[in-house]
Amino acid sequence: MTDLIVRPESLPSPDSRPDTPAKLDTLTPLDDTVAERLLTTQAPQRPVATPAIRIEIDGRIVEGFEGQTILEVCRDNGIEVPTLCYEPKLPGFGACRMCVVDVEGEEHPPISCSRAAEAGMKVSTQTEEVRRLRATNLELIFSDHNAYCLPPCQNKCPSHIDIPGFLKANAEANWRESTRIFKRTIPFPSVLGRVCPAPCEEHCRRDEVDEAIAIRDSHRYAGDQVIKAMLDDGIDPPLPFEVQAKSGRRAAVVGSGPAGMAAAYYLLIAGHDVTVFERDPAPGGMLRYGIPQYRLPKVEVLEAEYESVSRLGGKVVCDQGLGRDYSLDDLQGQGFDAVLVAIGCYTTNKLGIPGEDADGVFDGLEYLRTATLGLPVEGHAGSRVVVIGGGFTSMDCTRTSIRQGAKEVTLVYRRDMKDMPAANEVHEAIEESARAIFQAGPTRILTDKAGKVNGVEFIRMRPGAPDASGRRRPEPAPGTEFTIPCDRVLLAIGQGPELDWIAQPGNQGLEATKQGRLKADAVTFETGRPGVFGTGDVRIGAATVVQAVAEGRRAAYAADAWLKGLDLAAIRTRQTLAEPQPEFLSIVPFTSEVKEPRYRMTALPAEIRNKSYIEYEIPYSRAEAMAESTRCLQCTCEAIGFCDLRRLGIEYGTTLPTLEPQHHNGAGFRSVTENRFTGANHDYIRDDSHSFILREPSRCIDCGRCATVCAEVVGAACYDFMRIGFDTLVTTPLDMSLNDTPCVSCGRCAETCPTGALMPKPRVLQKYDVDESRCILCGICVDACPYDALRDGADMELSHDSRANPMIDLLASSAVDRETEVTYIRKERDWVARAIAEGRPIESDRLLPVLPPNIAARVGGGAGANGDAPRLGAGGGDGTNGNGHSHGAGGHARHR
Amino acid sequence: MTTLLRTPTAWPSVLLRRDRAGRGRGRAGGLLADPAAALDAAVASGAFEGLKRAVRELGPDGTIAAVASSRLRGRGGAGFPTGEKWRAAAAVEAPRRYVVANGYGADPSAFTDRVLLESDPFAVLEGLAIAAFAIGATEAFIAVRAEDAEMVRRLEAAVGAAEEAAFLGPDLLGSGRDVTVIVRPVQGAYMLGEETVLLKALEGRRGQPEQRPPFPTERGLFGMPTVVQNVQTLAAVPWIVVNGAAAYAKIGSKASPGTILVQVRGPARDGVAEVPLGVPLRDVVALGGSPGSGRKLKAVLVGGPSGGLLPPELLDTPYEFDALRAVGAHVGSGSIVAADDRACVVDLARLLTTFCANEACGKSIPCRIGTRRLVEIADRAVEGRPMPTDVQLLEDTSADIVASGLCDHERLATLPLASGMRYFRSELDDHLLRSSCPAGVCRPIAVAAGATAAGAAK
Repeated sequence: MTDLIVRPESLPSPDSRPDTPAKLDTLTPLDDTVAERLLTTQAPQRPVATPAIRIEIDGRIVEGFEGQTILEVCRDNGIEVPTLCYEPKLPGFGACRMCVVDVEGEEHPPISCSRAAEAGMKVSTQTEEVRRLRATNLELIFSDHNAYCLPPCQNKCPSHIDIPGFLKANAEANWRESTRIFKRTIPFPSVLGRVCPAPCEEHCRRDEVDEAIAIRDSHRYAGDQVIKAMLDDGIDPPLPFEVQAKSGRRAAVVGSGPAGMAAAYYLLIAGHDVTVFERDPAPGGMLRYGIPQYRLPKVEVLEAEYESVSRLGGKVVCDQGLGRDYSLDDLQGQGFDAVLVAIGCYTTNKLGIPGEDADGVFDGLEYLRTATLGLPVEGHAGSRVVVIGGGFTSMDCTRTSIRQGAKEVTLVYRRDMKDMPAANEVHEAIEESARAIFQAGPTRILTDKAGKVNGVEFIRMRPGAPDASGRRRPEPAPGTEFTIPCDRVLLAIGQGPELDWIAQPGNQGLEATKQGRLKADAVTFETGRPGVFGTGDVRIGAATVVQAVAEGRRAAYAADAWLKGLDLAAIRTRQTLAEPQPEFLSIVPFTSEVKEPRYRMTALPAEIRNKSYIEYEIPYSRAEAMAESTRCLQCTCEAIGFCDLRRLGIEYGTTLPTLEPQHHNGAGFRSVTENRFTGANHDYIRDDSHSFILREPSRCIDCGRCATVCAEVVGAACYDFMRIGFDTLVTTPLDMSLNDTPCVSCGRCAETCPTGALMPKPRVLQKYDVDESRCILCGICVDACPYDALRDGADMELSHDSRANPMIDLLASSAVDRETEVTYIRKERDWVARAIAEGRPIESDRLLPVLPPNIAARVGGGAGANGDAPRLGAGGGDGTNGNGHSHGAGGHARHR
Repeated sequence: MTTLLRTPTAWPSVLLRRDRAGRGRGRAGGLLADPAAALDAAVASGAFEGLKRAVRELGPDGTIAAVASSRLRGRGGAGFPTGEKWRAAAAVEAPRRYVVANGYGADPSAFTDRVLLESDPFAVLEGLAIAAFAIGATEAFIAVRAEDAEMVRRLEAAVGAAEEAAFLGPDLLGSGRDVTVIVRPVQGAYMLGEETVLLKALEGRRGQPEQRPPFPTERGLFGMPTVVQNVQTLAAVPWIVVNGAAAYAKIGSKASPGTILVQVRGPARDGVAEVPLGVPLRDVVALGGSPGSGRKLKAVLVGGPSGGLLPPELLDTPYEFDALRAVGAHVGSGSIVAADDRACVVDLARLLTTFCANEACGKSIPCRIGTRRLVEIADRAVEGRPMPTDVQLLEDTSADIVASGLCDHERLATLPLASGMRYFRSELDDHLLRSSCPAGVCRPIAVAAGATAAGAAK
């Protein structure tokens, strides 16, 4: 057999290696072997003074230095070039191809991280071609990026609640933390847990496994636990943020509905003094006067949650209507620095058909105002009722009418059931004995001779052309008229705000929009009148409670900025950015999850609940609430906000209309969410075996930064590119756990990772006990601690010596000497004396600046061969004269 | 053993020194049995004459000038002028320089380098020594395939004999310069054809390319200026030094003088042949015989797995670097495969692209994911489930990979599909738009077509 591997003659053969390690000679070079060359070869060093060069970048003449790359010149001059694999500490790597720039006269655009800048170069960083190449590369990355940024539920929630966050707390039965997370965006988890239409659940990714998570029911349970603790044990509800110090500024909130109270809540946390003015006798707005008791218990839930506002010091003044009892001038005259108008929508729209004003035609809201409080409405019992409309108000009218003893209740909606905003309640109403007719619109209201309603004529509707909202606009089908006899008609076809008051004196400066809403900015919520903000339904028209709360919160932040005297125009950009961006879509469905259907809340039997105002849904048990939250896939990325890939994906995926001219016409989409590339992709297993570093290879984009940083900066070389072709992945050898690699837990890999593939692991707070009697001063804890909680102490050189020079085996020597740590430390501390006693030479560089005179004298004598020794000896002479201080100073200067 | 193909007697022979019967007269007979005797025999027939002349008469600059004026171009596939490369490496200030001979022969279907190294290792060694002498390198590596154990043994024997005879080693022929030649068997993959990858492999690191520039002539092996040459290029150097640059420039075409080894796979024969550059592709393909009766030539794959698929109409293209590049192929590994009308071009292109995608080192995004997506488009085409945007997507993606690629591997990996699309568009359209395979190779489509035919027959 021939040995195929050629071994240079000069290398010692394995057999000839001496048993004892030879003394390490660092002065004479080793044999000129390949390995030695790898160790000693230095990259060409840049000269100390580099001549300046001028190059043209994007039409600007900028200055750089010879030897700089194009990217370095760009960054020095504030020109942004996107990168993913570039690590500023290291030379360009060239894997991600994101930093391509156009250089005049080059066939292919070079990558700026590796290409040296040359004088007179003409560089363009934003040409159509390089932007296209970057976008293609991003699309390619995303086509093999089995990971998510924002979970879709959070994205679709109008208030962008951290849903995976509170569900995780729920799964640990930490209801208080769950509620705290919830209150960061919505102060009322229990209220919303009952009345929210839960747009989040429609987009839940768990749906791809079995069924969506019951998100609303989950925060309802958590919120209820907090209310229970508050009512039973007097425990304050958790606060989402630390309450700021009193600002001394005062804010008035007009209207105590969801928008107004949410605004008051966040303004109070921001440290302002808030007074809420309510027109009606009790606070709550639509929550109290529009939503029936059986859906939202007023005392147990609404008032309990509203108490969090008063516990923060908010004052609520009832029976004070804007335009009726006071004007904006009055408020501002009373010293309110900011006024938030959140009066909601209370005027029911008109049908515009004959007979609309007949006796027996009621405004649905007016009806609910009385009926939601459980009070009987005169003449309702035993009557035949027709409810017109398809929203939540119509549903509340229908179901309340049943509870009030109406003989026959018919709900009529002009579109199909699937178009109904309140579609999920329909089957419950039908169970409770209501009738529902879809795709029919009223044409006229029939009256008897006394002018009293005795029926409604409807006409069948068919779907026509789609309107602006994308729904098909219903058109009447002639000749399909039919009549429903009835005694009462409840109109619930949408509401608008009451804005008569803005024309009154004292309220100047406000305007209404064409739709009859209060005109206010969508981001800063400013109206035409300084210091007055419009928010909630009065600004956006009748909407859901969750939208109103989101409005209120955002308006509170705008008003807070105003009260602090900040520039609202600056808030505009900041708040736009703060609102989450579109998420990137899943490519493969979840396959490995255990199937476990949703835990549903049960309801009281229909025949019982249709007579009662008691909340009809039976809440979760504790175990059910935990189990339901455990089903959450937690499909959120911990790196969100830090991820370069996401940032670039948004920049190059969603800026199409302005920045990307029609390039790939035939091939379709340029958005990252709608990727041109489909096909095979990798689904790797998450590795959380290491204590500090979490590895999520599915998020890895193979940029190689961790590998180069670990090898070249840290020296541990835990990672490298493994396997070839499409299956290449930057990982540990054999995908082993980081615990089995030379990892020193320094965290530099996580720091450099541009995505969430490597992350510092979230740690549960825990305090550790140290058994000092077993410490061997190895110093590994000092090196490994990512937060410098442990530091080198007085015995610093002990630990460093031991690891810098592996010849000293602390464990072995202590085992032989049978020392205790006390004797060991004492001995080590007196190493100079010991060295002299043993006759070992002492390197003066290792001496501490200040030496006791008696020892310094002996050192001078003992280290005769050392070049520095005469000076030391002279110093020692001083020392014997008792001048220890000047001796110390001399030693100190030498060390510097 | 690979056969040597018989070539027209009018074609000059530089590398293999064939006799009139077309057999190579390699100067290394009996190398393993008695290396010294083999060397003596080789020297008797003129080996190491070039080295002597370079050292004793031309000197380093003169040697580079001679090579430059011969207009010799690198045989590794890209055809970079050799003299320019040497001059660049010699001009860089550095403590050390290297010469690396690439005898790896990355293309698994071409044995050209191996044939050369087995038949005439001394010519390669001589060329290597001349190159090292010319640029001032003291160490030269020959990277060869570790799997070719026979060849490695012969090469080592040749190096030993040459060192023994003082043609290599310290104080080269009294010039005062040392040239040590190290044979390095490497194991790797197709990517080793890329010079920066080969250098990484020689350094003992994972074979992944580096961005060029800086070129290896500036920063190569261990960060030092390095000349990487194919063994064929080096084997031609002694001939040039002995016979003169002008004589060499007369062989082959004006822009690409000299001869090159090709691996021809034709309908009748396959083997290695030495052809002068610039002869029509038709003549090279003809070395492999003509298609059987009733068959006709459909496509010629020029350049190995990442080569271009050319139609018969382009057989008059001269076989040389620039002309092939212009028509969407390249010299590459020197492999030429003739396919008759039984082959499906789309299927062939898919096969080649799959090979290239699987051999990718995985460093850059366009290569690792982009080539894979190309394969998937081709897969969809042959399986009969194309997407409506596939033709456009193929074009756009190929263009973007070429424009933003890191090394030539990914750029060339687009060639089979790109050239297939360029010259066999109707066949590709049949696959993508009409879900049919004219050659009847792609099975799902063939089944579907058969079913339709059966349905029509009923």
